[in-house]
Amino acid sequence: MIALSQATIYGLAGLAVFGLGLMGVLGAAERLRRLIALNLCAAGAGMVLIAAAWRSPPAVPDPVPHALVITGIVVMVSATAVALALIRRLHSLETDTDD
Amino acid sequence: MTDVMPDPLTLAILLPLFGAIAAFLLPRAAPAIGLGAVVATAAAIAVLGHLVVQAGTIFVPLGGWGAPLGIELRADGLALAMLGLTALIALGVGLGALAAFAGETEVGGQPMARQRAFFWPLCLLLLTGMNGVYLSNDLFNLYVMLEVISLAAVGLAVLGGTVAALRAGLAYMYASLLGALMMLLGVGFVYLQTGRLDLAGLAGAPDSAALSAAFGLMLVGLALKTALFPLHFWLPEAHANATAPASALLSALVVKAGLYILLRLAEAGPFPGEAILTLMGVLGTGAVLWGGVQALRAERLKLLVAWSTVAQMGLIFVALARAGLEGLSDSWRAAALLILAHAVAKAGMFLAAGRIKDVIGHDRISELDRSAVRPALAQLAFALAAISLIGLPPSLGFIGKWSLMEGAMMAGNWHWVAVTMAGTLLSVAYFTRALTGFLRFDRVRAPLDEHRGWALADAPPVVLAGLAVGLGLAAGPILAVLDLGTPFGAIP
Amino acid sequence: MTVLLAFDLLLAASIVGLAAATLLMRDAFAMIVAFIVFGMLLALGWARLVAPDVALAEVAIGAGLSGALLLRTLAHLRGGGLSAQGGASVSAPTNGATQGINALLAGLATCALGLAYLGAPQNVPGLEAHVTDAMPESGVTHPVTAVLLNFRAYDTLMEVVVLLAAVIVVWQVERGLAETPAPALGTVYQGFARVALPVAVIAGGYLLWIGAEAPGGAFQAGAVLGAVAVLGLLSRHVRPAPAHRPLARGTFVAGTAIFALVALGVSGAGRETFEYPPAHAKTLILLIEAMVTVSIAATLAALFHGREPVTVATGKETT
Repeated sequence: MIALSQATIYGLAGLAVFGLGLMGVLGAAERLRRLIALNLCAAGAGMVLIAAAWRSPPAVPDPVPHALVITGIVVMVSATAVALALIRRLHSLETDTDD
Repeated sequence: MTDVMPDPLTLAILLPLFGAIAAFLLPRAAPAIGLGAVVATAAAIAVLGHLVVQAGTIFVPLGGWGAPLGIELRADGLALAMLGLTALIALGVGLGALAAFAGETEVGGQPMARQRAFFWPLCLLLLTGMNGVYLSNDLFNLYVMLEVISLAAVGLAVLGGTVAALRAGLAYMYASLLGALMMLLGVGFVYLQTGRLDLAGLAGAPDSAALSAAFGLMLVGLALKTALFPLHFWLPEAHANATAPASALLSALVVKAGLYILLRLAEAGPFPGEAILTLMGVLGTGAVLWGGVQALRAERLKLLVAWSTVAQMGLIFVALARAGLEGLSDSWRAAALLILAHAVAKAGMFLAAGRIKDVIGHDRISELDRSAVRPALAQLAFALAAISLIGLPPSLGFIGKWSLMEGAMMAGNWHWVAVTMAGTLLSVAYFTRALTGFLRFDRVRAPLDEHRGWALADAPPVVLAGLAVGLGLAAGPILAVLDLGTPFGAIP
Repeated sequence: MTVLLAFDLLLAASIVGLAAATLLMRDAFAMIVAFIVFGMLLALGWARLVAPDVALAEVAIGAGLSGALLLRTLAHLRGGGLSAQGGASVSAPTNGATQGINALLAGLATCALGLAYLGAPQNVPGLEAHVTDAMPESGVTHPVTAVLLNFRAYDTLMEVVVLLAAVIVVWQVERGLAETPAPALGTVYQGFARVALPVAVIAGGYLLWIGAEAPGGAFQAGAVLGAVAVLGLLSRHVRPAPAHRPLARGTFVAGTAIFALVALGVSGAGRETFEYPPAHAKTLILLIEAMVTVSIAATLAALFHGREPVTVATGKETT
């Protein structure tokens, strides 16, 4: 039996979030929803990394994955902004030209 | 590594970055800055080449920390060949871009002046990311570099600003992002198991469920980025609807980043066993056939070229699967040669296709022969590139295909030989569709238009396509460079 | 202990539940709000895993700024107002059966990953021992900042490059002078903004300074200052105009440029790139962080504004 530590709980939750995001990306039709699903994937991957950094107290967590996840968050917001700009531009063009 | 300062590895990554910054700050001078930055980068790569020839593999511990705490850059023959080739293609495409963005704005598209101004920062950021991938020796760093490439590549894909390009660009963005995130989760699993991020950490790790999961995730993610059948759905539209210089960069370089990382993972890792390799070969076969059939059915020249990328990438996966007796430690060389050959030829071919479209005014294959204007040099470039992609001697493509088939035959893998032959025949068939359009004059109704002169614009595609053919004669030196620092261990 | 464990289980279940709810929400506005709440809970979970830096970054950037970006885009898609329901064609034609199969495959893959996760060893030593050993030479006392700005500074530089690439692409995709992004703030919020702006600027500066020894740092500070700039845009204190472009471009690239120049500048005389001389490490890191903070703030605000301020001749382009 696996000892249920904090890390295991949040790690598994992270995988579930990643999986939900994956389903959303592959299954959703709307552009915004698929983008949010991708953000869920990123959050799930982040949870797995942060869970990997956790150490049972009194040991302090490993700071390296923390830094990686901060990097990941910034990268993801950049990508989100680009995707949203594409969505807005496409919407403008599509409504303009009845395409 | 401290005698040269700063080291050429970092410079190969940061010089294009400085170029991108300068080109973004001074949009009017962007082309001059861009070409200057590419030349400076090439100079840094030349210095690096000198060092690699002398010392074999070179490591640079950034910040002086060294792996596993810090990030190390690594350069060996494989990295050097990719760096040199990338600089060459960037230079060729950059020169081609000078002419491509001088024309008239397409209906519904982005004004040419803006395309010209934004092409260079994005192209140089792409170069930063590509060089970063080639020199990286750290899994998380590879993820960040892939994202740099993704964003720059999406920017290039939508540069034209048409609805079709934007739609394809968004689909590409989603595919690319999902691939990168799978890579990220894979990195998480690696850290969970080994507590390290450098590639060397993988080498000593014993087989485990977490590592298998990590490899599975990274494999699927990278296959998505490399457009391996059936994950290729985003590629044809994205590459066909971009402007020609952007298509050339996307098809020649960007898809290679994922392949290169796969090669590096295979080199470092306990690579997934026979079953996964065979699966890669089977999917590669699917790509060769499906890409070939779709290229046969394509109505537009650029779409044909884009589908041929799907087929050619499939062939590279076939080469990875088994082009030798010893599996990957034997077959990586064939794959690397095919990667190099495809990159040079495809860059030339997309530039040529763009030139043809610019001159004739459309790129519908069925009407190519009705044109009153003959972009003869661009057609020549297209034909030369096709020779290398089909794999006729003495082209670089021939050398790549030959080493694939030789290895497969020696190992008795006749089915992979058959796949290669089938792919070759298909490529003959689909390129012939375009080439007959170039060669038939009898359907021209209007008198031939006045000859517009040999524009400078024709030089880059002709030179790149010529190199794709001519570099086959330099196969010996290229193989010698690839073996510097003996990637994949000693030569079997 | 068991109470806390029960809390963790409940929180983890809520995080997963909200993720599912986000994807199932019919209305796009509700979907985005659910996503923002998800981000908040996620940050709470990260705080429970003793990752305060990440929790701060998630609240400020992951939930906060991404949420703002999503809402601003939704307002655009719905033709200016968030309340209007119709008019937003956010869907694309797709094949239902294929998507069902894809989703099923995704579910199966996730289950396999879960098994692999449970099979992974617990508490494998990571790099914390290496970090502890190297901390005295890092120039800062907060480990996460040391990793970001020193041990793995190269990654962080590239992360700032990703932000730069994003703003370049956004400017290229969208252009034109628009009214400031809808919805503009009402008068009450205008007053709030006037009070909040100076407070937020101070908070951002504090976060930057404290990052050397406690949770905080360039990214969190940049996000707070970016929020200030977003408030400035919304309250129309800041109106992007074509004349601002050179300054804006300069601000976007400043962080990347200084970071890369310092990295190259310290090399030589036996030192590698990114190898700060120990005596100057703290100063150099603070310099880099300050420049990066300013760049991040400007970039995030520009990503929110979302278009290059250019005067476009034809009326069609200004949509």
